[in-house]
Formats: sequence, C-alpha cells, structure tokens
Amino acid sequence: MSHVAIDLKASIKSFLRNKSTIFWTIAFPCVLILLFGAIFSYSSVKYDLYLQNQDIKDGKATYWSGVLIDALNSSNVFNINILNATINATDYAISNRLSSLLIIPSGFNDSANMGLLTHSANLANATFVYDQSTSSAPVVGSIVMSIIKELNFNLSHGIDYLNVQDLTIAPKRYGYIDFFLPGMIGVTAMTTSVFTAVSISAQFKQNGVFHKLATTPLKRYEWILSRTIYNVLITFLGMAVMLVLGVGAFGMKITLDATSLFMVAMASLMFTGLGMIIARFVKDPDGADAAANVITFPMMFLSGTFFPISQMPLFLQSIAQVLPLTYVSDGLRASMIFGQSQTAILNTAIITVLGFACIIVGSWITKWEED
Amino acid sequence: MTSLSNDNAIQVEALTKRYGSLVAVNAISFTIKRGETFAFLGPNGAGKTTTVEMLECLRKPTSGKALVLGLDIAKNQMAIKKRTGVLPQDFYTYERLTVKETIQYYAGMFNSRPDVDGLMKLVDLEDKKNVLFKHLSGGLKQRLGIAVALVNDPELIFLDEPSAGLDPKARHGVWHLIDGLHKQGKTIFLTTHYMEEAEILASRVCIIHNGNIVAMNSPQGLISEYGKRNMLILKQTSSRAVPNIEKLGIKANYDETTGDVTVHLNHGVAVSEVLHSLTSNDIPFGELQLRRSSLEDVFLNLTGETLGDEEDTL
Repeated sequence: MSHVAIDLKASIKSFLRNKSTIFWTIAFPCVLILLFGAIFSYSSVKYDLYLQNQDIKDGKATYWSGVLIDALNSSNVFNINILNATINATDYAISNRLSSLLIIPSGFNDSANMGLLTHSANLANATFVYDQSTSSAPVVGSIVMSIIKELNFNLSHGIDYLNVQDLTIAPKRYGYIDFFLPGMIGVTAMTTSVFTAVSISAQFKQNGVFHKLATTPLKRYEWILSRTIYNVLITFLGMAVMLVLGVGAFGMKITLDATSLFMVAMASLMFTGLGMIIARFVKDPDGADAAANVITFPMMFLSGTFFPISQMPLFLQSIAQVLPLTYVSDGLRASMIFGQSQTAILNTAIITVLGFACIIVGSWITKWEED
Repeated sequence: MTSLSNDNAIQVEALTKRYGSLVAVNAISFTIKRGETFAFLGPNGAGKTTTVEMLECLRKPTSGKALVLGLDIAKNQMAIKKRTGVLPQDFYTYERLTVKETIQYYAGMFNSRPDVDGLMKLVDLEDKKNVLFKHLSGGLKQRLGIAVALVNDPELIFLDEPSAGLDPKARHGVWHLIDGLHKQGKTIFLTTHYMEEAEILASRVCIIHNGNIVAMNSPQGLISEYGKRNMLILKQTSSRAVPNIEKLGIKANYDETTGDVTVHLNHGVAVSEVLHSLTSNDIPFGELQLRRSSLEDVFLNLTGETLGDEEDTL
C-alpha cells in the first residue's frame, strides 16, 4: 500500500507543478460556468409552451383570451402547443412531465372586461403551471409574465387588468446554472480521468517509464490504484472549486450528500477505466489525445451538459441514453439540486456497475511491457 | 541446469525467445561471475535487449532457463527485482519531480532508505538536486538513472546502452561512474553497441548476432582470436619495400595510387625489424602509421557487418 501512497504523492506533486493541467482541470470549467451561466440566463431561444384556452364562445376564443394568445404567438419565443379545452390540463402536465403550461380559464374575457369597467386589477387570472425542476420553466414563466405586463401597460399604464398566477408542479425554483453546474462536474470527472489515463499511459509507454517501473517491486495494480485515487482527488478538487463558484457567484443552493460524492468517485473510476481501455489501442501521445477527444467531445455535448437532452432531436436523444455521462449529469442534478434521491441512487448504481466494469477491463488489458 | 556456483551472478542455459516464426534469441548459454563487468555487444535486432529483459523478469522466455543471483527467473521475479538495479535505455521518469525526489520515489518503491545525498554525490548531481527531471540534459538524466538503479544497493546492475546518444564528455562521465561501480564490487551487465565502451569497461565481452552468441572472451582475447593483425603503414615509399619486408616472413602490399606500403604485422616480428630492413637497403619512406586491431575488426570478421548507431529494439 505504501507504493500507492508514494506514487500518488509523486502524481500530485507533478499536477501541482503543471500550470497547463491546473488550468484545464480547475480554471477552464470555472470559465465555462461563468460564461454559460451568464449567457444562457438571458438567452432568447425558442421554448415549448403548452396552452389550454377554456374561455371559448361559439367555438372561438373570446376577445381577451385571443389577445393574450396572439401576444404570446407574436413574441416569437414559444413553440405553442394547444391542449384540448376539455381535459384536466394540470393532471395532463404532471403525467406528461410538461415543463410549462398556461391555462386561460373560462370567464377570463368577462373578468378582464369587468376589470376595465371598474378599474380593478387582478380580476382576469390565467394560470401558469410549471415544473421548476426543469431549467426552461422559470425562463418561460418570466417571458409569459413580461408579455402580460406589456399588454397591461398598453391598456392602462399601470393597472394589471390581466394577471398570471403560478402553479408549480415541482417544489423549488431553479435556474440554468442549477442545470449546468452538475453537468460540468460530470464533464470534469470525464475529462480529468480520461485524458490523464490515456495520455499518461501513452507517454509512460513511449518514453520508457513503464519499463523502468516494471523493474521495481511496484505492482501494476498498485500503480493503477494510485492513478485512480489521483483522478478522484483531482475531480473532487475541481468539484470543490466549482461549488464555491456556484454558491458565491450565482447563489446556488446545493445539497452535497454522500450520494453525490460517491457518484463523482464512481464517475472518475469509470472514466479512468475507459481511458485505460483507449490507451491500450493508441501508440503515441498524439494519438492518445486525439482518441481521448473523439470520446469525450461528443459525450460532452450529447449528454445534456450544456442544454437539456429534451431540446435535442429525437435521434440524438436516443444516443444520449447510451452515453455514461448522461447518467452522471442526471444523477448529480438529482442529488445535488433537485433532491430526487431515487433518481440519484438509480443513476449512481448504473455508474458504479459501469465504473467497476471499465476499471476491471482497463486494468486487465493495460500492459507495462509487451511480452 | 547445473547447480549454481556462488561465484556466478547469472547462469543462462539454452535461453530462447520466439515471436511467432521469428527467433529473437536462439538457445544462448553463458555465465557471469560475481563482480564481473560483462558486455553484451551486438547490432540492432541482435537480441541483446530481449535477453536482458528476460533476465530482468520483464519478458517470459519461450524455453530455456536462467538463474539470476541464484534465483530462477521463471519463479522468483519479485525477489530478483528487489536485488537488482536497472538502468533502461534512455532513462525517463516523472518529468516534474526533482533529482532528489526521483531518487526518493524509487527508493520508496524498494522500501529502502539509501543515503540519497551520497547517491547524488556519487553521480555528481548534488548541485542539481532541486532541478526538475525535465530540465536535465541527456547526460545528467543518465547519471540520475544510474543513481536510481542503485537505490536498493543491488548486487547486480543491468545497464542498457548507458551512454547511447550522449556527447563524448557525457559519455566519459558515465563510463567513469560505471568503472567506479565495478571497483565497488558490483556485478555489471552492460548492453551496448559501442565497441569502445565494451572494450574499456568490460572484463568479458559477448558478441550476439541474429539471436546467437558468436564469440565470448575478454576484449583482448577476442581481438587476438578474431581481430585483424596490427598493421604498419609506410607512407610514400617504394614498391621495392615489399620483397624486402616479405623476406622477414610477413605479408606486405603496395598501393600504386598512394605509394603506400601496408605491412601486416605478426607477433614474431617487431616494427624495428621492418624499419631496419628498409634502411639497410636504402629504401626511403615517409610518415609511419600504426593501426591497432579493435573489437570493430572482431565484429566485422565474425558477422560481416559493422555496428550501427540506432537503438536495439528487439
């Protein structure tokens, strides 16, 4: 075991003396968080909005419900999906996991007219039903609200004749950063572990360090254990910096429980093993970097790190379902942000199984010397 | 295999390594005595590195047997590793560890507590102890590699091309170090394709070619047995010199282009006799050159090839 500690100490010293590695492991994810956190908090992409108009007369939308729907349509921000007026829309939203639904109730038009006649506010209320565990719902809600405020302003210069009431179908309020940061922790676990495993293995193979190590009493499994612990520690370091940034710069509320920490450790284990498997088939450090990029880059963008998988085309969603990083990101979000312990445990279990499978295969096929 | 003599550090018998149909090492046998500096000399692909790596327990032999320090390489790998030191060709390690940290790292791998300052002094790296490995020159890296090979106070040291790629000054520094280790009583197994290195350092040289041992003796013994005779070259002399010299019972050739006469000396005839024969017959000659036979000649004579400078990768 002392061999593991000695090699681990040497690896950590090497890490701390390598400015480039420190930048890519610690600083780069922080830069991404700051950039994407800022950009996507104010983004203007199109969002799905389900709409049920119960205020219909003679088969047509009443005047004020029509005005509201036209305003939503003309904002050009939403893909509006109309629900049948006869169904229970709230139940439908829950059972179909809709993120945003606007219900215009029966009598909305009459209430608006009454408000106008009596100069009374808040008589005509639409209901915004949303799942705040999704990243897009708060954004959609704020846009709907701003559109109604504009209508009110044009009508009265002050009185809110038309109003929206919130009805949440998830308990907390989340922003893009809540979605993004756990994904970045998953990406850091992946890039740190894969690149370290692949490039160190390729370099050590090429420049003869493995050859020298093989002449010492250090056993191959001890070296692999040391590298795995090193990757877990470096990922934890990156995670700690990102959490401090998330709380400090974005006021995030994060739950750091045993499941999250275990998930990160298992993700490092899995990606270290994956890196070792890749390293077995590359011949030099340049090829190692290319191979690592081929694996990590598509996974980074297809596993729901930067935007929800649900916003991707269906065939890409199918691909995302078989990428391990998807389960890491979803599991971390579930445990750290949404408090969905069942989802977190399920994803952690998947990653644990994959982690041990990858590290066993990786260790088995890693050779210090060709016989 | 015959039982191990306590005098032997290595005993090899019919050791063979095959890669498919390629025979890299073909049933070689030899012994190395304790305290001996033994050189394995051969060109690229001769089988030097394969043999050494089998003795270092890094590769499994296809057949045959070898004892290192009395231990079977097929059964006692860990025990052999603990008692031997290895300097691989082009020693390399963690780039961002200092000289001192590198020695401490490898000492830790052997659970040994060497005199780190003493080792740095031995390889003359005391003033570089806080320099990162990646900032060392090739010669200093090799010297550090030798210090690392000594962290466990090994009885037997394998040095694989210890001065390959080094400039002459660095090369002589490494040779001085190896000579010092020999004087300490260490057994040294040297793999090289530098004739001069083998000739200067080794008490015995084994020439390997195409996986077979073709000769093994002391450097002088090999030269005497397989080398060309020493040659005396008489510049710008007359063709009349040839019959006069041949009267002494030795062979001489006249080169019409240069006007030089080459005399193939043998042990029975001294240079002074040749010169006396010429002067007494009024045969003039210019500059004199004496060319000694070397291991290069031995190798050429035995294999029909010269040794290249490329790395032995087989």
